[in-house]
Amino acid sequence: MMAEAMIRVVDLHKRYGTHEVLRGIDLEIHGGEVLVVVGPSGSGKSTLLRCLNFLEEYDRGDIWFDGALVGYRTLANGRRVRERESTLAALRARIGMVFQNFNLFPHKTVLENVIEGPTIVQRKSLAEARDLALELLGKVGLTQKAGVYPSTLSGGQQQRAAIARALAMRPEAMLFDEPTSALDPELVGEVLDVMKKLATEGMTMVVVTHEMGFAREVADRVVMMDDGVVVESASPAEIFTRPSHPRTAAFLGKVLHG
Amino acid sequence: MPYTWRFDVVWDYRAVFERGAIVTAELTGGALLGLVLGLVLGMAKGSRLPILRIPATVYVEFFRSTPTLVQLVWIYYSLPILTGLQLSGILAVMVGLGLNAAAYFAEIFRAGIASIDRGQMYAAQSIGMRYSQAMRRIILPQAIRRMVPPFMNEVANLIKLTTLASVLAVAELLHESQNLITNTFRPLEVYTTLAITFAAIIFPIIYLSRRLEYAWGAHS
Repeated sequence: MMAEAMIRVVDLHKRYGTHEVLRGIDLEIHGGEVLVVVGPSGSGKSTLLRCLNFLEEYDRGDIWFDGALVGYRTLANGRRVRERESTLAALRARIGMVFQNFNLFPHKTVLENVIEGPTIVQRKSLAEARDLALELLGKVGLTQKAGVYPSTLSGGQQQRAAIARALAMRPEAMLFDEPTSALDPELVGEVLDVMKKLATEGMTMVVVTHEMGFAREVADRVVMMDDGVVVESASPAEIFTRPSHPRTAAFLGKVLHG
Repeated sequence: MPYTWRFDVVWDYRAVFERGAIVTAELTGGALLGLVLGLVLGMAKGSRLPILRIPATVYVEFFRSTPTLVQLVWIYYSLPILTGLQLSGILAVMVGLGLNAAAYFAEIFRAGIASIDRGQMYAAQSIGMRYSQAMRRIILPQAIRRMVPPFMNEVANLIKLTTLASVLAVAELLHESQNLITNTFRPLEVYTTLAITFAAIIFPIIYLSRRLEYAWGAHS
């Protein structure tokens, strides 16, 4: 029998008003695994990712992280209520997230962005947080930029700083929400390189992306989403050479051959 | 016969303007306590919870849609009838203008917070910050920079609104000026001086606001 999954999603449903974005998602992500989620825009990929660390509430189904239900607790009468803010925050601290638009804090320098979580959330000393931050900035190639404000950086540099900010919490898993979609083409590579390095170090990653090269090279498993459901889940070798679902074939055909 | 301007008469009474300016400053300072109420109202008005949002909205719209003069008169004359609480003129004006300004400040706060991209809250929460921490450390510091110009504008308005205190016989600038006119029969000189005095108080505030905007424009 396989080890218990780190993240387990069971029959997940989410609607905005009358529009059903997620219509029953089942998914397992094991420790150390790199899962790449692909699919047309509007298929619910980003919403799924934001449900995983409960930046979005979900309506039905379960998300389990490390054996605990994400976002809700169940009362004695079986009803579910939203978890306390402190519990939600403690969960999110264990899961890093990288956003399409970087979302660095513009009023703080790169170093201040990276030490914010460790000092404020984990209450580490400034010295300890600084050492960690400088080590991580070194890892993403931004040692020289520690003291500058994010607005002076290129998109690729901003995204690498955002990755360092997430890593500074020493997360058990990382969520990437289209991390290269807002970048100029020539800056995509430097961000993907950092992500590849993380993957080889054994980081558990869920990556929503349109970068099929990255999926092919780095993913352990690729999940194809369309219209709020998972239509196919397979190894990259399988899904890229002989997709079993016609919608996967159609989508891959479009993104791979223009 | 041409009019002869006699500002020397006003100069003789300059102590009256100094005295009035101090009362005007006190009234403004007192009314600025409305800032705290405004912050609370602004957060409530932007809340998802109807139980917070609706009362805050009613409050804000009530104070914005009724005349400030009537609000002051009402607090001074009606409150004692209804509650037995008789405020002094100066206190009634501080409370009245404070409650009034809170409605405008609330709108400035709400709009300022709403203008910050959602992604900032997401990012702050994703590194494990609680909502209150994210507000205090990430959202508000950015929002406040955007709030400064409308806030300074509102403070300038508030200073000018203190002249309404004259109807409650509070000895602020306008009231002192009117007394002076009955003594000197020099309304044009006195009102001109009054205008200049207000400009002297308000212009530095507007200037400071500009400088702050410029300084903060550097990296945001």
